[in-house]
Amino acid sequence: MNFNIEHKPDFAWLTVQVPRGQKLFVEASAMASMSSNIKMSSQFKGGFRRFFTGESLFLSEFKADGVDGEVTIAPGPNGDIGHIHLQNQTVYLSSSSYVAHTEGLNYETKFQKLSAGLLSGAGWFLVKMSGLGDVWFNGYGALTELDVQDEILIDNGHLVAFTDGLDYDIIKLGGYKSLFFSGEGFVCRFRGQGKVYVQTKKPSALVNWADGYRRVQKSSN
Amino acid sequence: MENQKMSFELQHRPSSTIAICHLPAGETLVSEGGALMALKGPVNVNTTTHQKKGGGVMAGLKRLLSGESFFMNHYQAQQASQVWLCSALPGDMMVHQLTGQKIIVAGGAFVACDSDVAIDLEWQGLKSIFSGESLFWIKAHGHGEILLSSFGFIYPIQVEGEYIVDTGHIVAFEETLSFTISKASSTWLDSFMSGEGFVCRFKGRGTVWCQSHNPSQYGSLLTPYLRPKSN
Repeated sequence: MNFNIEHKPDFAWLTVQVPRGQKLFVEASAMASMSSNIKMSSQFKGGFRRFFTGESLFLSEFKADGVDGEVTIAPGPNGDIGHIHLQNQTVYLSSSSYVAHTEGLNYETKFQKLSAGLLSGAGWFLVKMSGLGDVWFNGYGALTELDVQDEILIDNGHLVAFTDGLDYDIIKLGGYKSLFFSGEGFVCRFRGQGKVYVQTKKPSALVNWADGYRRVQKSSN
Repeated sequence: MENQKMSFELQHRPSSTIAICHLPAGETLVSEGGALMALKGPVNVNTTTHQKKGGGVMAGLKRLLSGESFFMNHYQAQQASQVWLCSALPGDMMVHQLTGQKIIVAGGAFVACDSDVAIDLEWQGLKSIFSGESLFWIKAHGHGEILLSSFGFIYPIQVEGEYIVDTGHIVAFEETLSFTISKASSTWLDSFMSGEGFVCRFKGRGTVWCQSHNPSQYGSLLTPYLRPKSN
């Protein structure tokens, strides 16, 4: 499918041309506008697990009926959109960074290892995309791709996606003093050969900053 | 053999800026807590309340008060490594090379520096209590690079004589400048009605780096929409 990403990286916005008869799958509520011949329906994807991912349980399906059409997509946070064309490869996305995919790709949700689910900041589940087609994902701020040759450490709040061929675990950075006082805590350690995609901003850092501006309310008793 | 120095590479400027610190073997980067994004290469991580050259626990306490984290992270490269750093608010970053001179950095603008740069907190006295901004500013001196972040973009001003900057818009300034904090207008009423409140009046010759947006102004805008903390 032909597509175009405009206004990178701050307000990236995706337009996909859907050929007649074909389908595009999009994160629920991310569609901004579309041609009038596009038929939209909800798909129950990923099953019961999606209850826990904090994401909507449904994906929206857009089918071009009769003639070609287009769908424009705007993800939740202001930031960049990335694209990967998969040729029978696999990529893992953090559950909040999935945006859209084309027919021919297989969408699955995967349990993370217990420690990873607790501490990775990427949620309990990952979205596993495999097969032949295009997948789009979003980040808060700009997106950057890191090549992994042997090992890399990523702050968990910045993790967006990673390719197959990488194994990861959660480790603490430095000693125990660092664990409690460094402000970094746990990080994801990726090992193997592949690519990791990170976002340059993390929502939790903005929230921590804004926390300083909360009013202090005296308790009544 | 001459020791290779670290260097910072800025990417995704100006609104989603990150800094990649290229760290040669043996070199140490000192960074504010929470700024780490990714780490590539064999690096020893150490968290201390102070810098080797920056005083003891008191320095750490002072850092806490300045709006910076109490603790500083030290990243020492065993072999050539990369440390990726980011900031919380959307905006730009700047790298400043210190060659013996001193600069003063506003509370939240400090991100990281070469371990050859000494950082210490500077009590700005009663005059800054009324400014509504951080009580402490960081004084940096030595030889090496220092990395600062801003909310919005950064514009330098070469001061010759006198210049006035709103306290919330200051990122850093050279110590060759002297300053006084005063109200923006000649009367208190005008100062408060204008919303400017306090300004910094710089005198002398030197550079002031300003940020286009004021973080505390943005923060106060959010206050009515944030759930209050219970005491």
